[in-house]
Amino acid sequence: MKIQFTLNGEARSIEIAVHAKLSDVLRQLGCASVKMGCNEGACGSCAVMLNGRLVNSCLAYAAQADKGIVETVESVGSLDHPHAIQTALVEAGAVQCGYCMPGMIMAAKALFDRNPSPTDEELAIHLDGQLCRCTGYEKIQTALRNVAAAGREQAQ
Amino acid sequence: MKKQFTVVNKSVKKIDALSLATGKPMFVADFKPADALIVKMLWSPHAHARIVSIDTSEAEKLPGVKAILHHGNVPRVVHTTAGQGFPEPSPYDTFMFDRKVRHVGDRVAAVAAETVEQAEAAVKAIKVVYEELPAVMSIEAALTPGAPVIHDEPEAHVPIPVPYEPQRNLAARVAMDVGDLDAGMREADVALDHEYYTDYAQHCPIEPHVAMAHLAADGRVVITTSTQVPFHVRRIVAQTLEIPVRRIRVIKPRIGGGFGVKQEVLLEDVVALFALRTGRPVFWKYTREEEFVSSRTRHPEKMRVRAGVKKDGTITAMGLDCITNTGAYGSHALTVVCNSGSKILPLYRTGNIHFVGESCYTNLPVGGAYRGYGATQSSFAVDCMMDELAELIGMDSLEFRRMNAIKSGETSPVFRALGEGKAGVEQSIGSCELDKCIKLGAKEIGWKKRGRWQDKKGRFRRGIGMAALMQGSSIPEIDMGAASLKINDDGSFNLLMGATDLGTGSDTVLAQIAAETLGCDMDKIIVYSSDTDMTPFDVGAYASSTTYLSGMAVKNVAEKVAKQMVEVAAAMFGCPARDIKLQDNCAVTAEGKRATFSEIALRALYGTDQFQIGAVSSRISHKSPPPFSAHFVEVEVDTLTGRVRVLRYVAAVDCGTAINPKLAEGQTEGGVLNGISYALTEKYLFSPKGKMLNAGFSHYKILSMRDKPVITSILVPSYEKTGPYGAKSVSEICINGALPSIANAIYNAVGVRLRRSPFTAEDVWNAMQARAG
Amino acid sequence: MKINSYHRPTTLEEAQRILRELGANGLPLAGATSHAFMKGPEEKAAVDLAWIGYDRIERGGSAFVIGANTRVADLQAYHAPGWVLDRVALRFVSQPIRGMTTIGGNVARVFPWNDFPVALLALGAELVIAGDQKVAHAAETYFKGQPARLYQPGDLLVEIHVPVLAPGCGFGYHKETVVNMDFSLLTLAAWMKLEKRTIAAVRVAAGAGLPLPARLTALEGALVGQTVSTETIQAAVAGQLDAVKWKGGDGFSDAYIRQLAKAHLEDVLIEAWQGAKGGAA
Repeated sequence: MKIQFTLNGEARSIEIAVHAKLSDVLRQLGCASVKMGCNEGACGSCAVMLNGRLVNSCLAYAAQADKGIVETVESVGSLDHPHAIQTALVEAGAVQCGYCMPGMIMAAKALFDRNPSPTDEELAIHLDGQLCRCTGYEKIQTALRNVAAAGREQAQ
Repeated sequence: MKKQFTVVNKSVKKIDALSLATGKPMFVADFKPADALIVKMLWSPHAHARIVSIDTSEAEKLPGVKAILHHGNVPRVVHTTAGQGFPEPSPYDTFMFDRKVRHVGDRVAAVAAETVEQAEAAVKAIKVVYEELPAVMSIEAALTPGAPVIHDEPEAHVPIPVPYEPQRNLAARVAMDVGDLDAGMREADVALDHEYYTDYAQHCPIEPHVAMAHLAADGRVVITTSTQVPFHVRRIVAQTLEIPVRRIRVIKPRIGGGFGVKQEVLLEDVVALFALRTGRPVFWKYTREEEFVSSRTRHPEKMRVRAGVKKDGTITAMGLDCITNTGAYGSHALTVVCNSGSKILPLYRTGNIHFVGESCYTNLPVGGAYRGYGATQSSFAVDCMMDELAELIGMDSLEFRRMNAIKSGETSPVFRALGEGKAGVEQSIGSCELDKCIKLGAKEIGWKKRGRWQDKKGRFRRGIGMAALMQGSSIPEIDMGAASLKINDDGSFNLLMGATDLGTGSDTVLAQIAAETLGCDMDKIIVYSSDTDMTPFDVGAYASSTTYLSGMAVKNVAEKVAKQMVEVAAAMFGCPARDIKLQDNCAVTAEGKRATFSEIALRALYGTDQFQIGAVSSRISHKSPPPFSAHFVEVEVDTLTGRVRVLRYVAAVDCGTAINPKLAEGQTEGGVLNGISYALTEKYLFSPKGKMLNAGFSHYKILSMRDKPVITSILVPSYEKTGPYGAKSVSEICINGALPSIANAIYNAVGVRLRRSPFTAEDVWNAMQARAG
Repeated sequence: MKINSYHRPTTLEEAQRILRELGANGLPLAGATSHAFMKGPEEKAAVDLAWIGYDRIERGGSAFVIGANTRVADLQAYHAPGWVLDRVALRFVSQPIRGMTTIGGNVARVFPWNDFPVALLALGAELVIAGDQKVAHAAETYFKGQPARLYQPGDLLVEIHVPVLAPGCGFGYHKETVVNMDFSLLTLAAWMKLEKRTIAAVRVAAGAGLPLPARLTALEGALVGQTVSTETIQAAVAGQLDAVKWKGGDGFSDAYIRQLAKAHLEDVLIEAWQGAKGGAA
């Protein structure tokens, strides 16, 4: 079947098998950031925004994205203009192998877009589906705490 | 020795961090060509069986199927999959495909097809007739006389002269004795004899194993792979495919974690052979289930510790008898169990030391290299024993460790006695701040308020425990690392190294060492690593050798290049070389003469007496200076359910000079959390027929951000003269503290000593019931 | 299981018609999160429910009316006096899964480890199936066996009515996992209504540690009419613990799950008591 959706702000269309998973299709469309660590929705390395929600794209059918809106980390900042979340992660020393990072950043952004100054507990809840084996999450938390603090400052 | 550094000991940004954070294509799968064939493997459903016949005729006819490999159509070359220096200290007991399968998840036949689905369909269509054999599922069963022999093939042997008795399922044995253990035990005022056990665990890199191969225009096979050991991959693929090394190139791009599981050659032979046979690019990525069952694991280990102390705290005897379960193949069998002795026994001063390390085959998943490498297991056993002995003589645990731990300037007979398949290397400790680690860690956790378990009340009880640790930095006299460096027009440098960055940040750390030595900014160093055509040799990322050993190679090559630059500047200035310093991207003299690196480069490349400023340098290490660490943990135990919650964890580590403090902390924090789940939540569940029942993240439990305690890492500097700018290693020691410190903390909370890990809630509850009843 | 066609109805009626036509080949697609665990060779036609509505929470008098297609993440984010399902949602697996799984998907086909059936049994919810007409089933009827038995071809769950937690009532919930996003070893929920210090009514439900989520009626019977206190709760739990057979799993023994049940039944009942006392849930 043919599906059409907005991917990172651009209209895309592609012929897919009905049972194709969104993660495979996104990678076919050039989104290398969508990683597949487990293929059963347990590690979160495939997490993207689908119609405004954080989802595990390895579980979602591409068909579910038809006529919808998908955002991956390719639309979140660039080398020249990184997003505040990306800058914070880099400066905190929170990026080791980087494989979990796209999913981690999408999860963080989904939270910060709704709430610019979450508590530590809210951060842990909203990132509870993003597995990382390298960092122990400690510096990821430091980085996101810094973003939350900046959010608090801006509000004041 | 305090030094002011410009780049070293600074937390400069990891050079690939922003690229990774913006999702750039940098991993193996991101370079998969559109026309790559997909590999799927038929794995053995049986723990132990002979393959009577394989019929691929139906499978070959299926759409999209391009080639099928099995024992009947590949070279039969016995080898080891262990990524170690040649000749490897592991048994050669593996064939690309064999006529026998030795564990559920062993290779039977591989298919290369146009799509994943076509490959999977073809795998299902391969007809195999097996003759099931009795299987061996435990250490005890393996070593029982008359047990089924797992490696009965005549070709199996070890390429170095070490004990190997496959006919009784013994894959490795090493032993040492100093003094007289029995006499030492008799001399003691308090002596204990306990058995400890640690079980299967998997590294769980978020990126599973993945490899690609394609043919270059000249027909050479290029392998792009998620590996820790590109040069060993090249050599072992050449060996198993019976083609010359020069026909193979191995490239490692960014990889999604390794932790030791990628110190192994598991996929590359298959993709390379498919590429050679089909002429097409070939891609193979393990599923998560395959990663658990068909890659490598931590060796389960049974340990008997006998130790004795006098009332004044002197240790009179230390005996450690270890047996590991190496699973169906013997990769890393000798070296892991050897490290169980060599990386913990030197920590405690005593005249009577006994060590036996053995490893046996079973028909279960294969043990390999896993961060900590045997020391993780033995640190648990030995440190818990020390904790118990201290208590029995009424001595504070910290005082006991401080009194008995090895100090700077001292040596241990264990260093010379235990090598990795060869004789060990004598060394004395050049740097040790363990005392300070203990002091700072104790203060941070609040050691003084830990109390005694007997005084604790209520349903939820807290306890504090600690562990003292040492590891090593590189394998002396065996491992080698090399680097080359050349200048460019604009005063930048290409730094080419075999050293392998698994996400650890070695590209950054080694660039810092180069920049410090050259006197330039970080952004002048262009790093390219781990390409067997382009970068000089390095054994790869293991044995905690990258910063220490590869770092020295980088420092050395930068010194050579600096010398050349100074000589060019001397010619430019007309003054002696000794008057010239390199700093801030310039050559300067005290009198104010100045030339930028770019000016020096342009002169050398284009101007006068032209030559390429550049050099190559290699290093081997002559010692393995241990980092030291003290870990402290506070836990809370629910006495009604045995559930253990880790509240806070403090790891104080002496890694010499931390070349990049934030990266060193990051290694520590990651290793600590991995150790915590190894202690509490990670467990392989097997069916009676040896099939893993929980091969996925849904049922094999690792920790998320919502599960973690607060982890505080404290870097305690020392200065290791033999390391680059005083550095030692940091990446393995940090995983070894959780088992003992948590076990000791549980004891401090509820008075039970757990000697078998993982400490599930049910185990803790059972232990509490047993003590109460 | 593999899907071989995909349908996207935009109304309930259209969804019902398509499902009736597809018969046994049709599979309502809610969040797709359970599909990874359906590992057979069969093929199904997926009927995506995400566009037919019934995906929000409304307060209707004394009950919340929850559309069956409401995502768990929305239950997590919803806050209102007398609303307690955010606490259940917060313990549901992980954030991306909460963004996909619907409450309907978690109760239409009941796996032993599903969370919401336990909470809905304790809260005395009603589940509304739309066939030709909408029929409301009390939770204990609905969950007495596999709910599929209550559905005709083409029927769909459309709403779940959960009573607003009234003053004098409290709710306790515990999901025992080894790590946060795990399958449950034992899920417990308790609802208690106090009149002064007497337990006027109580519902206790358990799941995961039992073959199917169920009410613990013997325990309820031992509590009703008692003066509430830690001692009466402990005595009732101890007395009625073995009225059901607790089931181990994931490497844990039956005996251990029983011990978990003992400890945490007390916990959820005390939590419900505290909520009932304090007025706030």
